[in-house]
Amino acid sequence: MPSVEPDNKPSWADQVEDLDDDVDDVPTTSGSSKVDAHITLSDEELPPPEEVIDGDTKVITEYSINDEGKKVKIIRTYRVETRKASKTIARRKAWPKFGDSEYDGPGPNPSTTAICDDIFMTFVTNKEEALNDKEEDPMAKLKGTRIVQCRICKGDHWTTKCPYKDTLGPIQEELEKSDKPGEPGAAGAKGEKPEQAAPARAAGGKYVPPSLRGANRGPGESMAQRRDDQATIRVTNLSEDTRESDLQELFRPFGAISRIYLAKDKVTHQSKGFAFINFHRREDAARAITGVNGFGYDNLILNVEWARPSNQQ
Amino acid sequence: MKPLMLQGHTRAITQIRYNREGDLLFSCAKDTKPCVWYSINGERLGTYNGHNGAVWALDIDWQTTKVLTAAADNSARLWDCETGKQLFQWDTNNAVRTCGFSYSGDMIMFCTDRQMGYNPTLDIYDIRAGEQLANNAPLLSIPIEGPKVTSAVWGGLDEYIITGHESGEFSQFDVKSGERVRNVKIHSKQINDIQLNKDRTMFVSASKDTNAMLFDADSLDHLKTYKTERPVNSAAMSPRMDHVVLGGGQEAMQVTTTSTRIGKFDARFFHLIFEEEFGRVKGHFGPINSVAFHPDGKSYSSGGEDGYVRVHYFDPQYFEFEFEF
Repeated sequence: MPSVEPDNKPSWADQVEDLDDDVDDVPTTSGSSKVDAHITLSDEELPPPEEVIDGDTKVITEYSINDEGKKVKIIRTYRVETRKASKTIARRKAWPKFGDSEYDGPGPNPSTTAICDDIFMTFVTNKEEALNDKEEDPMAKLKGTRIVQCRICKGDHWTTKCPYKDTLGPIQEELEKSDKPGEPGAAGAKGEKPEQAAPARAAGGKYVPPSLRGANRGPGESMAQRRDDQATIRVTNLSEDTRESDLQELFRPFGAISRIYLAKDKVTHQSKGFAFINFHRREDAARAITGVNGFGYDNLILNVEWARPSNQQ
Repeated sequence: MKPLMLQGHTRAITQIRYNREGDLLFSCAKDTKPCVWYSINGERLGTYNGHNGAVWALDIDWQTTKVLTAAADNSARLWDCETGKQLFQWDTNNAVRTCGFSYSGDMIMFCTDRQMGYNPTLDIYDIRAGEQLANNAPLLSIPIEGPKVTSAVWGGLDEYIITGHESGEFSQFDVKSGERVRNVKIHSKQINDIQLNKDRTMFVSASKDTNAMLFDADSLDHLKTYKTERPVNSAAMSPRMDHVVLGGGQEAMQVTTTSTRIGKFDARFFHLIFEEEFGRVKGHFGPINSVAFHPDGKSYSSGGEDGYVRVHYFDPQYFEFEFEF
């Protein structure tokens, strides 16, 4: 099944090859490929390459076997262009290659010379310049607005640069100021979300067994001493050296803690990097989340969120 | 235009130069092998192998028979242009920062850095004199006091050498007496490049202070200023039109530290007289370290920190473009 692909726009790779052969032919010529066709043959032998020069066109016919074992006939047509140059330039054109290019064939070596995509010079008139200035503006605009806001003191700097970074004081003061500890401003929204999300998850979307449906659970509930997960928070990204006493110290200010569970490696007894803190009151837990989430502790930024009930994934 | 991209270097290009007729393009980079290319099709003619350090500068004599390179391996070397063989090697105490052939091609100069307790010197040799080379005894060795030389060219009639310094000042040294004849300081930061115009009466300087300036080569009078917002690494004057091309951009070491969008690595074309920018050509991925006009003014090349040399043949629009005034 012979297939012919007339290629009006040769790819850049072909072009390099083209120039290649072209310079090979006459040192002071240059040209470009016009046709690049691939024909699949069914013959067994490879005929020798042909080169026909007719006036200012040169046609080279080559045969090769491609990766699929098919024979490919490649016809390349060049326009031969003779350029006049001074004797010195013509002489230099005939210089043998040397150095790292010593073994390069005639013509440009594709590994060192490539032809780039078409680019254009953009002419700058005064109008365009004005446009350019406008383009610059977004950065200038941003200068006025506050890109970053400190989580600790709400200042115009990164949290890590905050002068109060190592003191929890300001947070707590702020928390005390706000009347409803469950929703203190923007940071409080973080605490709110999981609260709303948890019931939503139980209600819609996934299949929930009848025993778990509704607010009052049925008699299927057997574990009488179920821990109250409502006021449990999960702290992740703790450092390995964290101990329970550290957590106690960190979360005590937010309210009474009923239990601290720090996950530890069985063998090394080092922290696994996360912990669960049970508060007595859910409001305390919410405050702890808003207060400590994103707090830098031992070079790590703590991630504090509501613990998901362990029985439902 | 479809630029030719020359990928012969593995590190940042430091300087590119055409020979007098413009059929060959020479490039050197922070790798050790300066290359020579046919400017017409980007074919690499050869490399000059032998240096052991970054090559900071190179020059070609007017007959295109010899190539002079200045390198950080404490040597300046003279090569046979045709064969790539090394003809001579000057060993210095320091890295050689800049070098140049006199217009006659008979004399060479190179200037060393200030390092390891050695002061920079500007050495001038007559390469026809075998005893000067054999004894490593320069015709003239000018010690440079003050800031080191970062760029230097031979002045108009080979009577003096114009040097650009780290501090932004220019000096003129008399080749016969070795005296500092003139000294001006208009740029505020390091001079990165000095290129003379075709008749060698003016030169355009490129400086880290984000400006390029045009000076009279004899009197060192400041004539024009081309302002940009980035350090200018190289500037060249068109031999055909009243145009100047500037190459530069953010300093390579700062490219990754800023959050502004990439770019500003374009070659920028200014009108020589009106000092106004009229065109830009994009293409490099990093700052442009060296630009050069083809001696016929129909093409120009730029070598960048990205290690590529790009040869641009102007479109007809460039020649048709008329500056409005």
